[in-house]
Amino acid sequence: MKIIIDGQECQAKYGEFIFEVAKRNNIKIPSLCHDEALPGQACCRICIVEVIGNKWSKVVTSCVYPITKEIEVLTNSEKIMNMRKMIIMLLDARTSESDPIKKLVKEYEVLPITRFISGDKEKCILCNLCVSACDILGTSAISTVNRGIMKKVATPYDEAAVSCIGCGACANVCPTGAIEVSEEDGKRIIWNKEFELIKCGRCGENLATREQMDYLDQKLDVKLKEYSDDFLCDDCKRRTRAEQLKGHNPYRCSII
Amino acid sequence: MMENNLDTARKILVCCGTGCLANKSMDIVKNLKAKIAGLGVDISVEPVVKATGCNGFCEKGPIVKILPDDISYYRVKPSDSDEIINKTIIEHELIERLLYYDARTGKRVKSQMENPFYNQQMKIALRNIGEIDPLEVNDYIERNGYSALRKALIMKPEVILAEVEKSGLRGRGGAGFPTGRKWKQCDNINNFPKYVICNGDEGDPGAFMDRSILEGDPHSIIEGMLICGYAIKASQGFVYIRNEYSLAVKTMLEAINHAEEKGFLGNDILGSGFDFTIQVVRGGGAFVCGESTALIASIEGRVGEPRAKYIRSVEKGLWGQPTVLNNVETWANIPVIVDKGGDWFSSIGTVKSKGTKVFSLVGKVKNTGLVEVPMGATLRELIFDIGEGILGNKKFKAVQTGGPSGGCIPSELLDLQVDFDSLESVDSMMGSGGMIVMDERTCMVDTARYYLNFLAEESCGKCVPCREGIKRMLEILTDICDGNGQEGDIDLLLDICSMVSEASLCGLGKSAPNPVLSTIKYFSDEYEEHISNKRCSAGVCKDLTNFFINAEDCVGCGLCKKNCAPEAIVGTPKETHTIDSSKCIKCGNCIDICKFNAVKVL
Repeated sequence: MKIIIDGQECQAKYGEFIFEVAKRNNIKIPSLCHDEALPGQACCRICIVEVIGNKWSKVVTSCVYPITKEIEVLTNSEKIMNMRKMIIMLLDARTSESDPIKKLVKEYEVLPITRFISGDKEKCILCNLCVSACDILGTSAISTVNRGIMKKVATPYDEAAVSCIGCGACANVCPTGAIEVSEEDGKRIIWNKEFELIKCGRCGENLATREQMDYLDQKLDVKLKEYSDDFLCDDCKRRTRAEQLKGHNPYRCSII
Repeated sequence: MMENNLDTARKILVCCGTGCLANKSMDIVKNLKAKIAGLGVDISVEPVVKATGCNGFCEKGPIVKILPDDISYYRVKPSDSDEIINKTIIEHELIERLLYYDARTGKRVKSQMENPFYNQQMKIALRNIGEIDPLEVNDYIERNGYSALRKALIMKPEVILAEVEKSGLRGRGGAGFPTGRKWKQCDNINNFPKYVICNGDEGDPGAFMDRSILEGDPHSIIEGMLICGYAIKASQGFVYIRNEYSLAVKTMLEAINHAEEKGFLGNDILGSGFDFTIQVVRGGGAFVCGESTALIASIEGRVGEPRAKYIRSVEKGLWGQPTVLNNVETWANIPVIVDKGGDWFSSIGTVKSKGTKVFSLVGKVKNTGLVEVPMGATLRELIFDIGEGILGNKKFKAVQTGGPSGGCIPSELLDLQVDFDSLESVDSMMGSGGMIVMDERTCMVDTARYYLNFLAEESCGKCVPCREGIKRMLEILTDICDGNGQEGDIDLLLDICSMVSEASLCGLGKSAPNPVLSTIKYFSDEYEEHISNKRCSAGVCKDLTNFFINAEDCVGCGLCKKNCAPEAIVGTPKETHTIDSSKCIKCGNCIDICKFNAVKVL
């Protein structure tokens, strides 16, 4: 079916979300909590757009609004721009040190607000992507706790979570860099828990945590160790494979 | 002497709603039973003592009703039990002091129907409460219970759906969506299994109508759900009750057992071939779980957070299956609609809001309690006729309707006919029917701050507009109340409100600005006064309040002095007293206690 976004005609499938159709047609709708692998958060709401009907219009969240009929969409009407600016202003007031938010403030020319007590070095915007990533991995080591203005992302009782494997998927998916990960002396510290890092058997780069490898064993029901003495990083895997194909294999290691 | 009723079995109904229980009504039941047992052969027909659900008039509880004499006693104490048996049951004499005193006529009245609190009410949803023992299914059956189910089971499902639609019943949980249309939409979807849910997660401060029905007449809810289940071909129902309502949970569980024993629930109900079971799910006490999608998430065992409702629950609800979710009061109306017909129901109420509505009338009103009136009753009738006006004869200031996301309606609108649409037109809402009356000693900025504080704690915190918007509105309101309000605060509040009301994920966020919007709309002077003059005329915001005693009105009775904890009031008897503002903690005790209205806000 056809829909019109900002005057541009776009093809859409029944049930497809406005955000996806806009993206495919190079129409930019800003978003902080959208990730293709973890869709449907609908938390940040800067992706709001206006859907115009016959004699009505409504504000919807484009990342979860399914297209079920031919509609007209405005991604930056005056009303939407005012609301989006207000949301960005509120996010800016919450996160005093977040670069992605500062970038949005600049891009949307949001006036700096001094009226509020600013967030104390807060970076998290509670988009829930980290929690979703952890859930999908099956570890569920973190979740949102509390409600309302006290809500935060945490491990159970803020202690080192037994189920955390230190994979860092949460930090990787975070749009504002709010999850602290440090790697020093062969150790990774994340969510108050220390992990031993396994190094690449060839180049020596940090590869993964011991718990991550054990978790893979358990999930895949194999013993990765039986295939190899050492683990290789992605680059070294490629290099080793290429060398094997050339018939020259200085490094005697199967590829995992 | 009253008419002799010795040949008829007398019933003594003792209100055992939560309020009366707290005032020892269970002891009254015990004492009455013990006294009757001790009498033995003294009376020809032994009276039955029953513990019933809430009578609604909680202000004057515990209430004891004697049938068929139709005598109602109020504020009964356990020690009155012997006298009730000796005088009223045996001697057929009234105990004057326990009768209701009607201040307007100066007379004591015998029957509930002579009592102005009751005689303007029309009870449909509350029809059995106070009349039956909720734990006795036979009591319910005696009052026509389950007859609507029998009738429905020989009706075609589409006829039931048409009847409910014709009734014009709208969801009593707050949004007012037409119930018949909801059922039809669910029925039209060819995807099974389907589910039926009762929302008993009542969380509005000061609201207790659902609790009263759950505790006082659980079978009316079961019967309503059964009829819907039959009409939309569902075979599983869930009653979601907040766990703080422990009596409601217990009563509902027992009622389900009794209904199963009687063959109203289970397989092949009354030989019709229709199967239906009901399970009770206890809520964890999150206000937001009253929102339908959050409630469904909670039943599924997930975090109670709402989802976007672009695809509605009737299509994809519980476990992704078509689901009809209605509020307790809505369910309680269904059996009556099926029994008496949609036309009968739609003859009551206003053009767009049919039937009756239960309100919990609380706050600074003389008669607090649950009242059920036809839609379209005016606020004045509710507050000044049924409620008998403001406590301490103070001036009425506003009435807050619709729970924490409702609005405050000022005295100019007292003649507003209350229904779903009229309340929305004045920036408030029906909500579940909470009605909190406020007098002149209520600060409207502080009221808005109170509700925003409630919402800040009870929002699920998932979406930015609701979470951050409420947080910042609360920050501004707190500043204004503390005397730190700034120029431009009102405009900033209005800007945040307009974004939050449109961009939030669920109904909680979308309606959260209502307390702010309605107080700014009707009481903007008060905001201005707080911000510009740093004065709170209601004498509530401590930093903006100074009390003084007006010499012309003070008679020097010393009552204020006696009740002033920090000893800030000085004066000799029969002379004008004064307040030492350096010692005053601005608790407002003096202003509330003075019989001569001599204490004023500077």
